[in-house]
Amino acid sequence: MRIIIIRLLAITFTLSSVSCAKSYLNKTDPTKVSTDVFYKDAKQLEQAVNGVYGALQGIANDQWITNELPSDNTTIDFNPGDRGQSDRIEAFEFYTINANSTNLNSSYINYYNSIYNANNTLAKMQGATGLSDSVKAVNEGQLKFIRAYLYFELTQYYGDVILITQPLDKPSDAWTYQREKQENVYAQIESDLKDAVNDLPVKYQAGHIGRATKGAALSLLGKVFLTEKKYSDAVTTLNQVLPLGYDLNDDYADAFNPQKKNGIESVFEIQYDAAIDGEWSSFIYTFAPRLSAGAVTGWSQSNPGGWNIPTNDIINTYEAGDKRKDASIGLNFQSPVTGLTVPYIKKYAHPHAVYGRTDDNWPVLRYSDVLLMLAEAINEQDNNPTTDAYTYLNKVRHRAGLADVSGLSYQSFKDTLAHERRVELAFENWRWFDLKRTMTPAELTTFINNYAAKEKANPTVTRQGVPYSNTDYVFSQYEALFPIPANEIIVNPKLTQTPGY
Amino acid sequence: MKNKHSLLQLFCFTGLWLLFSSIAQAQSPQVSGSIKDETGAAVQGADIIIKGSAKGVQSGPTGKFTIPIQGASATLIISHVGFATQEIPASAGSTQEIVLKRNASALNDVVVIGYGTQRRREVTGAVAVVDLAATKDVPVANPTRLLVGQAPGVTVRQATGRPGGEFEINVRGLGSLGAGSAPLYVVDGFPVGTSLGQNFNGSDIENITILKDAVSTAIYGARGSNGVVLITTKNGKPGAPVLNVSSTYGIQNIPSGRKVKMLDGQEFAQFKKDIFMDKIRYFENREPDITEVPLDYRYPEQVKTSTNWFDATLHDNAPFSNYYASLSQGNNNIHSFLSAGYTRQEGILLNTKFDNLSVRGNIDGKVNDNISMGLRVNADLASNNLAQATEGRDNIVGASLIADPRDPIRNPDGSYFAYIGGHDGVFGFANPVMSLTDIQSRSNIGQMVANAFIEISFLKNFKFKSSLNGLLNYNSYKQFVPSYIPGENAPPPRYASETDQQINTRNYSTDQLLTYNNTFGNHRINVLIGYTAQDEKTTTLNAGGTQYANDLTPFLGSAALKTNGSGEYGWSLDAFFGRINFVFAEKYLFSGSFRREGSSRFGENVKYGNFPALSAGWRISNEKFMSDISWLSDLKLRGSWGITGNNGIPNYGSLAFMSNNNYVLDNNLVRGQVVSNLPNPTLKWERSGQLDLGVDLAAFRDKLTFTAEYYNKITNDMLLSIPLPAISGFTSYLANIGKVQNKGFEFAARYKTKVHSVGLWVNGNISINRNKVLAINGPNDQLLAGDFYGGYNISRPGSPIGAIFGFRMLGVFKNQADIDKSPFQDGAIPGVYKYYDADHNDTISYDTKDMVQIGNPWPKFTYGLSIGGDFKHFDFSVLINGAQGYDIYRVIEASTMNMDGVFNVLEESKQRYRNEQNPGNGRLATTNTWKWERESNSRYIYSGSHMWIKNISIGYTFNPATPKLMFKSLRLYASGDNMFLFTKYPGSNPEVNNRGGINPGLDDEAYPLARTFTFGVNFTF
Repeated sequence: MRIIIIRLLAITFTLSSVSCAKSYLNKTDPTKVSTDVFYKDAKQLEQAVNGVYGALQGIANDQWITNELPSDNTTIDFNPGDRGQSDRIEAFEFYTINANSTNLNSSYINYYNSIYNANNTLAKMQGATGLSDSVKAVNEGQLKFIRAYLYFELTQYYGDVILITQPLDKPSDAWTYQREKQENVYAQIESDLKDAVNDLPVKYQAGHIGRATKGAALSLLGKVFLTEKKYSDAVTTLNQVLPLGYDLNDDYADAFNPQKKNGIESVFEIQYDAAIDGEWSSFIYTFAPRLSAGAVTGWSQSNPGGWNIPTNDIINTYEAGDKRKDASIGLNFQSPVTGLTVPYIKKYAHPHAVYGRTDDNWPVLRYSDVLLMLAEAINEQDNNPTTDAYTYLNKVRHRAGLADVSGLSYQSFKDTLAHERRVELAFENWRWFDLKRTMTPAELTTFINNYAAKEKANPTVTRQGVPYSNTDYVFSQYEALFPIPANEIIVNPKLTQTPGY
Repeated sequence: MKNKHSLLQLFCFTGLWLLFSSIAQAQSPQVSGSIKDETGAAVQGADIIIKGSAKGVQSGPTGKFTIPIQGASATLIISHVGFATQEIPASAGSTQEIVLKRNASALNDVVVIGYGTQRRREVTGAVAVVDLAATKDVPVANPTRLLVGQAPGVTVRQATGRPGGEFEINVRGLGSLGAGSAPLYVVDGFPVGTSLGQNFNGSDIENITILKDAVSTAIYGARGSNGVVLITTKNGKPGAPVLNVSSTYGIQNIPSGRKVKMLDGQEFAQFKKDIFMDKIRYFENREPDITEVPLDYRYPEQVKTSTNWFDATLHDNAPFSNYYASLSQGNNNIHSFLSAGYTRQEGILLNTKFDNLSVRGNIDGKVNDNISMGLRVNADLASNNLAQATEGRDNIVGASLIADPRDPIRNPDGSYFAYIGGHDGVFGFANPVMSLTDIQSRSNIGQMVANAFIEISFLKNFKFKSSLNGLLNYNSYKQFVPSYIPGENAPPPRYASETDQQINTRNYSTDQLLTYNNTFGNHRINVLIGYTAQDEKTTTLNAGGTQYANDLTPFLGSAALKTNGSGEYGWSLDAFFGRINFVFAEKYLFSGSFRREGSSRFGENVKYGNFPALSAGWRISNEKFMSDISWLSDLKLRGSWGITGNNGIPNYGSLAFMSNNNYVLDNNLVRGQVVSNLPNPTLKWERSGQLDLGVDLAAFRDKLTFTAEYYNKITNDMLLSIPLPAISGFTSYLANIGKVQNKGFEFAARYKTKVHSVGLWVNGNISINRNKVLAINGPNDQLLAGDFYGGYNISRPGSPIGAIFGFRMLGVFKNQADIDKSPFQDGAIPGVYKYYDADHNDTISYDTKDMVQIGNPWPKFTYGLSIGGDFKHFDFSVLINGAQGYDIYRVIEASTMNMDGVFNVLEESKQRYRNEQNPGNGRLATTNTWKWERESNSRYIYSGSHMWIKNISIGYTFNPATPKLMFKSLRLYASGDNMFLFTKYPGSNPEVNNRGGINPGLDDEAYPLARTFTFGVNFTF
């Protein structure tokens, strides 16, 4: 009898087991696409490429912290009432950066996340169907351009960086990577950009304007060569940009005018749009003086950041009659507390219809940058400014309303160019790299400490009597490179720290 | 599909019953009879044994039995769960009418266990029964309060005083690093999840059992490893209808001893002035002129206003009220219980409030001798007025400590002074009083839980029970912040903003249980086999608005800008399980169970897990050689081992998804997709193996009971978010890595006596748990959580989970000479902290290299003690609980002891380092800098050891002799809750746990705990 019962039970349970069909336990997030089913066709791949562009917005939003603030171009609107930033953003101004910097940490994560998406999309593209070779090439070219741009920035920040160009097979592989010698990083960047130059079109059809072009790849490659001091390569490369149809705008300010995005002067810019949900920029809300409320943004509810404030040093460096000064710097705001003027970056201040949502794109590469790079490369290559070099420099000066220069020695041409680049590209996140590129580490240290001493003695924005700490504005040579974020070394103790930190 | 099959099962067994029910039995000398309880209802399943022999039978569905005997007469021993055992002499051929009396003795009690019940004396697992009688007068806004101090091995912490807030419950330590550590709650057989939520009226509870060891919890498989809390709601007892009406009213206050002392207005101005002047003295090496000092704090003695913001946010004498009525009855074959309750707890912070309205209907009935059915329905509406977030430094409680005391609450015209601070170098905050009163923040949570079952008895020894459970939860939340509320360092006016959320959950489960119960002579066997399936789905809808035309129409329609979104998530599981309980000769006890469970949360290839458990017990007191020891009524040794699981991870953790990252091209939106996480197709159960050894003892006619227990639980395959190098593209991924051990001892004793008319009982327990990480088999053998400036918790092999980690602070540098002779600290100045050079390289590096374990957040032991008694009409009870030997990292002091002068600071700040001649108390740093002060360090560690006299209650019960009065019984009682706290901890609540999980023991200020006095009356009709 018991046996019968057991058999019956067995039968019933067997039936029930069938009922717990696998599908009952297979659940997937209904709100998202699984990575398994993505990257299958041309449309999905285009979305994956767009996603990599999308990540550039996040990078551009905070790039001023690492690219402009440490330079002599900008400082901060000191806030005695919130010292919470004293070990964070302020550290980039006062040269007190340490490996625990949350800003470096999030920047590092953002860069490598974008690199991962570029790598992953490049790898997955091989498995997609219905993709013509030409479409594939254009996609690859864009991804490689972006990857090269990201690595170029990273190696300027940290010197030797981990070089990863494939998605990981398994997460534990992440521990096998070590910092790669900068020359190898540059080799990868060059290789990516050369591919991009071959793959990318000169222009895109409507609906695609804003993607990386051949001109963008050439210009960035020129910048890389210039940084590597490969001057003849730089000259050759940058010369190839000239016939591509770029020119300077008549009005300098037009390059930053949201009404005139992606104009003739624009080589590559990061796109934003105030009218599209989640796609707006808000740079001016970060850069306007702290207590300016609506005076700069136009919206009285604003509580601006007061970061990236133009220094007295750059304000005073403009030549008389330079039209770029008024287009770049606002000097019309007085602090309601001290009554003193607090300058601000005007390039990105434009009227906008909705509070907090600006339409300003971020300029990455402009034709004037190309012209000045070319002039510099020629001067360095030939140890002497040629006629061409003067032509390119004077074209930029002319547009700014300044007289031509002529008859300069190698050194004075170089100095003139340095000044010209500083004001032409002010607050476009190139100044810190330009300083590092054009000076030896020892020269840079002296230069920064001179600037720092001036700023410390006569701060652009008053500190309302609060003294500096001993460590503020003391720059050591090792600080030309940033520390690898402490978190990364905690996670992977084998990773080496930047010397000095 | 599942339900169809359960029907199929049902038919199968019905058929079986029809097939075998007519089998006849053999004849010889015998005794027959029937067994009834005191109400006359038949008692099925009672054991009838012939004394001196091993033979026995069980009573049938109508209570009838027939037992063969040897010879002309015999003595029958009749026993049944919950009844006193009787011995009856009977002669052959006689028919006995036996009335069993219910037995109050604890040992004969039935204990609720997973999917069934068991006699307490036969329990071989670690099962704690909560004494609800001891907490009957306690004001309860959340039923988790009932567990405080009641059971060994069950840590219950009131981490926050939020009205209606759930208490934090841990069974036997923290068994998981990343998958949640709250126990599974099972209400009337329905596993409702790892939180009881707010939709439950504690007065409806009949009993609470906590399952702790593997043999008790393995039957809950992948949800058993953190312990299981079984809650059974009340049902009608046999007898006449009973109407119970009670009402409680009370007031809540924060005792002044539990308030943190901050500087007042003048003292704060003096602090500001001193900071300003000290900096010039130190950095510029000169005596500043008074005219250099900003006017705002140049003359502190002239400061007129001094606001104690913390006091200002309190709602003194905040009322607590509770009304409850229940009607229970049990006659014939229907037992029912109806109740309605309303609880309102106004918060001790202004304008915060919890309301709960609950109705319940429980009904069980016997259709006939073979079929019974039951239905339990509970509908509950819980509302919270939260007036914005309260916990942590950036929210109301923290802000009320650090906001500038020199500003007033109100302007001369009576309106609020909105923006506190925000001038002369002080942080700007919204007036916390205004935030509390003027920000609307309300959640309404409606919940309906229903369980229905049908139970069929067949073949005398078999029962088949099929049940269906359902839960619907509708949670809506709305917050509106008017435009005149400032932000942090953001003066008004700003844009008003609104947040709306709707979160709707439905959860179904079904159980099919087949049990077989029989007694053969000396053997008693109980077999359970079952199948269960559960499915949960949650849908969400959220919307936000900003830029309102005005503050008068707080609805999305008035917002110029709106955002919205919707979502859905869910999980499912199914499992087969079985259990055998076997008792031999009332002495040897065995139990074994097995569960095979699958879950949607786990990787494609590892969907199913197996969870076996075994246990054995030996009732030594029933051995012959113990029969002389008359004072000993029970002595049992027991041991168990088993494997349980933990599935508390995200629903789709094994999968990787794309997420939106759009872009703009040619001024048009283009859709972009990026990968949002890494997949792990091998993600599986977290498995715990647990050994438990226990001894149960009862003596002096059960007046004294004692239990001691040892356990050792090792959790393998821990589900963890593993930190990844960022170069992988991500910072973490989920994997099964690591091993944790929790082992400990638990002791519980209860003594109950009555001397003449004085009754007295004492109930105490002590729990000792040690947790230790055994392995973290990642590429990096440790887990560090937290941050450099806000407290780290480290988990690494050999240390407890989440040990507090930081620099060891050795004191403050007295002068430059002191700095020079100490290990190098880059940029140190006199007055900053001197740290321990852990790696002995003569340099304190500004990262984690010189950090060490500086605190253990886990108590050496915790305890609970209840004392009660009665005399004539009076009774009283006292509950004491506490924890000893653990550390708290007081992270709030990074703000309340911030030396920048941007926040108000603690009174103790007066003893800070000023200069070499005036070095302060040696633990408070200079105001001249911040470096080497704010880093996670031992300066912020305090001992959390404490003892609460948690509750004192007294009551008076009047049972009128004359039935002419309308009521049968009247009870008046008074209760004081959260009465006295004995601790050296400087914060207001040593049970605080702001971050939880693997970030234990951090105090960032929580909603304060009030002392509550209540008075109540209870009529029974």
